[in-house]
Amino acid sequence: MHDIPLTWFLIFASACFVIGLLGVLVRRNAIAVLMAIEIMLNAANINIIAFWRYSVPGPEESPVSGPMLAIFVITIAAAEVAVGIGLILLCYRRRASADVDQYDSLSG
Amino acid sequence: MNVATDWALPLVWAQQSELDSIPWLKWIIVLAVVFFGIFPGIVAYMVWGERKVAGRFQDRIGPNRVGPFGLLQPIADAIKLITKEDIVPRTADQWVHLLAPVMILVSAFLVLPVIPFGLGLAAVNPPSGLIYLIAVSSISALGIFLAGWSSRNKYSLLGAMRAVAQLVSYEVPQVMSVIPVILWTGSLSMVAIFDRQVEYGWFIFSPPGLLAFILLTIANIAEVNRTPFDLPEAESEIIAGYHTEYSGMRFGLFFLAEYLSVFAVSCLGTAVFLGGGTLPWPFTGEPVVTLGSGQGLLSLILVNLPLIGIFMAKVGLYVFLMFWIRCTLPRLRVDQLMSFAWKVMVPLSIINVFIAALWYEFVFRPGRPNYLLGWGVTAPLVLISVIVVLSIYKAQMKADLAASPTSRRRIATAN
Amino acid sequence: MNQILFGVIATLGVLAALGTVLARNLVHAALFLVAFFFLVACQFVMLEAEFLAAVQVLVYIGAVAIILMFGIMLTRNIQGDDTTTVSKAGFISGGLAAAGLLAVLVFGILDDEGRTGRAGWRDVTTRPAVYPVAARASAEQTKAVNNMGFVVGRELLTRYLIPFEVAGVLLTAALVGAIALAVQDGPSTDDPAERAKKAAEHTAAAETEPQLTSA
Repeated sequence: MHDIPLTWFLIFASACFVIGLLGVLVRRNAIAVLMAIEIMLNAANINIIAFWRYSVPGPEESPVSGPMLAIFVITIAAAEVAVGIGLILLCYRRRASADVDQYDSLSG
Repeated sequence: MNVATDWALPLVWAQQSELDSIPWLKWIIVLAVVFFGIFPGIVAYMVWGERKVAGRFQDRIGPNRVGPFGLLQPIADAIKLITKEDIVPRTADQWVHLLAPVMILVSAFLVLPVIPFGLGLAAVNPPSGLIYLIAVSSISALGIFLAGWSSRNKYSLLGAMRAVAQLVSYEVPQVMSVIPVILWTGSLSMVAIFDRQVEYGWFIFSPPGLLAFILLTIANIAEVNRTPFDLPEAESEIIAGYHTEYSGMRFGLFFLAEYLSVFAVSCLGTAVFLGGGTLPWPFTGEPVVTLGSGQGLLSLILVNLPLIGIFMAKVGLYVFLMFWIRCTLPRLRVDQLMSFAWKVMVPLSIINVFIAALWYEFVFRPGRPNYLLGWGVTAPLVLISVIVVLSIYKAQMKADLAASPTSRRRIATAN
Repeated sequence: MNQILFGVIATLGVLAALGTVLARNLVHAALFLVAFFFLVACQFVMLEAEFLAAVQVLVYIGAVAIILMFGIMLTRNIQGDDTTTVSKAGFISGGLAAAGLLAVLVFGILDDEGRTGRAGWRDVTTRPAVYPVAARASAEQTKAVNNMGFVVGRELLTRYLIPFEVAGVLLTAALVGAIALAVQDGPSTDDPAERAKKAAEHTAAAETEPQLTSA
């Protein structure tokens, strides 16, 4: 039984990250952009956990530094979605559109 | 006392096959027999039981035509559902419409593997079993939402919106009310929780445990959408809610999933607060203590037969409690539903975590457990917090009612 | 066996991510996203972090996906068929940027030299064994893998206490912020006449030049 090389996880994570980036770049609906951002955050989490599992923590380091970071990322992501949806709904109410290209009041 | 904390405990008779190094065979047996045979059978007879119980409550007889006491009624119902035409609305989203009931059913099934029905009878024992259980049971909200959305029917959509709001709201007190158990056990493993109760007696036999059990039961009833929390499928308002557009066996899947999740939450309540298959207080830890010491297959069978029997009896009582509540209480209003979750259940469960910490200090802290002091300190605290939260809630409701326009006040006072 | 399993999960994961990004129907995109979350949970299990996998399912599928669905329902038409058409030029330039980043990342990953005294990433082909005997891993790490919930709980209240508190403050702020954003202007009213007046005011406000600052 062969173990999985670390680089496989890293490449998978970077592929997911890039797909998320693609989504942020090409989608115009604000909620779709939010979903793409979630994909990117998840890709980062896979990376973090892979590095944690494939390395040995030093004597002074926490044995769960990787999962801890991932848990904080999940926390932030949840908060971000809640506030993000609130913002999108507010913008939608004012503009009657969820298209990010139309939120351009600040552009001169 | 450390009973069965091994990893991945299989069924007793399937344990032999692992010795022959055919783990696949074991899983096929478990899946085929338990998950496709026993659990659906339990569900079928739960439906029969509910109809009988409801019949008695409403001064009727209930099903009595098919077989003796109507015992073959579930089989007749199943045949009827399977042979019925499967209608999908033309404008429905075909794939999502198909996927939604499957998702709900999968969510109901996934809860069951971590339940410790007896010694070594949890299909798997992950170290974070309780979180796993709560996580997979939260998938059903998504399935309900998709069912309502894909049907292209206003009633379905309304039901789905109600269901999701309700499930998300009541998930919070559901999770918060099992935190005392995690605190007392020091582990998330369902088997460890069972072991702890073998050692210290049922968790319900403590003031914070009792309060947590009541909160968990209320949240459970809301999570499986049963009366008085059946707003998502309120027949008198929105036809059948999210499964209005389902017919034939697809509706059957919803039916199966609903009763399966009733069974699953009953198993959760039993395993977490009612000590699994053990006997209550004067016989703490029985029958595990006297029968479970031996090694080998025979001893396992000997201890597991009474364990499963008692477990199923408790689950039966829990399910009966839910039927009883269903037959007794009327449906809540949407605003009552929400304010009850956020203004009563959530504050109480948060306060309860602190009281549970006190109980831990008196009873579970290494050293001699001091039950008397524990009861003396925590029981008044639980009582006071319940009274305070409820009276604040009542005063608020009264103020709301006084501030609301006359039409609603007239309705409320007429009732 | 492990490698095959990884390959299957990774392929499905990438497909689900692509589906999320490319699906025209927003609810379908959200459904693909749920599949992606689930497959990431599977990857966590492959990395022996099943506590995180459970948390992932609980938070992402149980909460985030539901919030997103609600968001989809409350914006635009209710069936979510609103398609955000992407111009071809935008798609090509976005795709080029993404492909370029992917090339850079893959090159960087495969070409890593490793810090002094450490192996490069491409040479790390096995993880530190944590059972049955601790080979490279310490007892601490063994425990962290086998009973992560326990270790995470302990660390949260000792070493990571301040981040934990800050995360709590952040969540509270997010809660208050989300409510403040979502709440309608002024107290809600049950009087239909007043509600109609409010709605009229609202549409009038929306028709004139919208201002984001007056929230």
